Amino acid sequence: MHKKPLSKQIYDARWCYLFVLPCSILTGMFVIYPIGMSWYFSLLDWSGFTKEAKFIGLQNYYEAVNDEFFWDAFIRSFIFMFGTVPVKIVLGFIIAVFLNNQVLKLAPFFRTVIFMPVVTAIAIIGIVMTFVFSPFNGPANKFLMSTNLTSAPIDFLGNPDTVLPTVMGVYVWKWLGITMMYWLAALQTVPQDVYDAAKIDGAEGYRLWIHIILPIVLPFAIVIILVEAVGALNVFPLIETMTAGGPFFSSEVMEIYIFRTAFVTDSGTMPRLGYACAAGVFWGVAVLFITVLQGLWMRRTRRI
Amino acid sequence: MKKKKELKISRRTVMKGALAAGAMMSAGSIPSKLFAGEFNIPDPLKPLPTTGGNMRWIDSGDMKGVFWKKLFPEYAASRGITIEYDGLPWKEINKIVPIAIRNGTVHDVFQLPIGMDPGVAVSEGWVQPWDDYIENIDEWLGAFPSGVYLPGVNQFNGKTYGTCLTANKRTGTCLLYSEKYMSEAGYDPQAGRMTYSEIRDAAKKITKNGNGQYYGWIIGGNQVNRWEDVVHTFGQVGGAHSGRGGFTNRHINFQNGKFQIASDQYMEAVELLLQLKSDGSAFPGVMSMNAPQARALMPQGAAGMIFQGPWCIGVWGRDAPDWKYGIASEPVPDGKEAQPLYIAEGGSNTFWLSANSTMGPFAGDLIRFMGTEQGQIYWAQTVGAADPAVNPDAVAKAGLTGPSAQALSMFAENILVGPNPIVRNKDVGIVAAKSRVPDPSLALVIQGLYTGQLKGVEAQLKDCNQRYEDALDKAVEEARADGANVTRDDWVFPNWDVYSNYGAEKYQEL
Repeated sequence: MHKKPLSKQIYDARWCYLFVLPCSILTGMFVIYPIGMSWYFSLLDWSGFTKEAKFIGLQNYYEAVNDEFFWDAFIRSFIFMFGTVPVKIVLGFIIAVFLNNQVLKLAPFFRTVIFMPVVTAIAIIGIVMTFVFSPFNGPANKFLMSTNLTSAPIDFLGNPDTVLPTVMGVYVWKWLGITMMYWLAALQTVPQDVYDAAKIDGAEGYRLWIHIILPIVLPFAIVIILVEAVGALNVFPLIETMTAGGPFFSSEVMEIYIFRTAFVTDSGTMPRLGYACAAGVFWGVAVLFITVLQGLWMRRTRRI
Repeated sequence: MKKKKELKISRRTVMKGALAAGAMMSAGSIPSKLFAGEFNIPDPLKPLPTTGGNMRWIDSGDMKGVFWKKLFPEYAASRGITIEYDGLPWKEINKIVPIAIRNGTVHDVFQLPIGMDPGVAVSEGWVQPWDDYIENIDEWLGAFPSGVYLPGVNQFNGKTYGTCLTANKRTGTCLLYSEKYMSEAGYDPQAGRMTYSEIRDAAKKITKNGNGQYYGWIIGGNQVNRWEDVVHTFGQVGGAHSGRGGFTNRHINFQNGKFQIASDQYMEAVELLLQLKSDGSAFPGVMSMNAPQARALMPQGAAGMIFQGPWCIGVWGRDAPDWKYGIASEPVPDGKEAQPLYIAEGGSNTFWLSANSTMGPFAGDLIRFMGTEQGQIYWAQTVGAADPAVNPDAVAKAGLTGPSAQALSMFAENILVGPNPIVRNKDVGIVAAKSRVPDPSLALVIQGLYTGQLKGVEAQLKDCNQRYEDALDKAVEEARADGANVTRDDWVFPNWDVYSNYGAEKYQEL
């Protein structure tokens, strides 16, 4: 069959292109352009607010990969991800299973309560949590002391050993509601017939969930894990408000590292936007790589 | 029942009134007495534009904010303009101002981010000189103490780009203490400067008396600059003579031009902080609070001592007027005489006028008024020792009493003017613009030592010192490569007598 020339194809589909145009322009302005500029800036020795910007090739990248604080922050970001995502996935699933039960009359109430932190401003949560975990009259320590679980107050956010787990705990609490909602949406795609048929076949309790329900919702699980993993790598506002990466870098994840190098800090360090962009590009590529891996895993699982 | 008559004002009436008021104000010559208030604002020296407008102003707030919030409404009313004031912490200014400069939305009057070389702001064209907007500027400048306005600091190309209304003669690490807890511990800091051992012992006793309800000492430990400020100033008191200010001044001994981060005095100061922790005298949770949070806990009775600045006086006076506290000089190492502290020449809180601003006439008129003796008296009466007015006569006439007066007399006694490399060679400004405080900075190193993440005070401070040396060498090298006529010798002042002010005649001797 004779194929139409490209110009003719475009003309025929002109309405489609016209409707795509606004979105393309906005994507170009707010996604493509900033990404492109950050790549360009990453090749400059530039503070970010002077005219003087020197092209230095890949020197910023070289410096970043040779900086121990860069790698510490890089690894810490993944520790954060691996420490929070499985907990959220499992906990969210368990809660969703319970709240998906139509017999439970208070399910909407519990759903609302668990979802409430999701709609609360993250900066507010960060600040409030610094008071909650304060060793001086903070409710967390008061509870631990009154129940004799500890004999002295714990400096949750000031101790390098406890700061990251504490922030991770707050993160899980803050976003658990959205994971629960994902799972609820997934569970509600399971037709009632399947439950009925399973029961007739004698599958009940954990067997029903392991052998019948879980395989059905597994593709959703992959998507949920992907979304959660990327989310756990973007935790800037929570950490900035709770610890600002401290004490002594103990909770400094990649976003805080990038922020610290991009702006003047408390210690008077001059900003380095070029370097921060290089760190950001490196980090972005790493996250993209993980996303692609997860995507491949998802495709493979679907085939199975 | 008879209905009470309500006062009804239509939108049209309001508009008419506003237009009438606007017309009156735009006449530009309304006597300020019409706006009777707390301040007697004089008429402008020359007619101001009649177009009105909105002037935006940003600075680091604190007690400055308290003063501006009182003055601005009266001033704005007297000149027929509006003023939008943003008083923000330095951390926010450091972020907001560069971005605003970049996108052309910076406030009409602003402060430069910490560490930013003013010469860069001028050469980049971000600011415009005040000369056209401050009437009789030469006469006005002549009323300031010598050393406040200097080429390379706030004057460039023969014009004044930065205006200073406040002196930098103050420290941010005074000993502020609860009178009750300190006297129960058996100490009186007013009797004489306390030693490190006495501070430690007092902290232990307060903690013991507190029995878990309060502690000996507190610091806003997650605000990292607090660690550096304490060690730097305590080191100076101990005898590590060095400059203050940005990276190219701070921690440098101008007798030999070298950083002295690894000096015995710095080590002793760090050890004191670690001992306060190991004694159990430190408030639990210092690592998870910033300086304002730590300061706020003092009047609540949470701790006996804090090393902070005179800005606490105004805040505590407002928030806890009944709380009894004292202010004293920084402690001294055992067996040593307290040594002077040094400031660089120039004022503090420098205000810059945006190059894009159209409100220059009003900003200049306001700054001119604030530089007069009456303006300075007003400033001193509200701000006190937190940001001392730059005119000493005005401070004397302000009638300050209590902790404010005590702090000012303490600063006058303890602080001298030290050398400033940028006054000697303006190309030092190019080095400042190229400098980067190495990672981890001294502030972070001290924090790391305090949390126990870093071990060995001496080794860590020596490493840090070397990093600072290397960073300054690199910045000098880069500046020279760009044509700056500068060497590390510009940081060596062989004629510096550490017990006297370093004035203009000393620079001429070099």
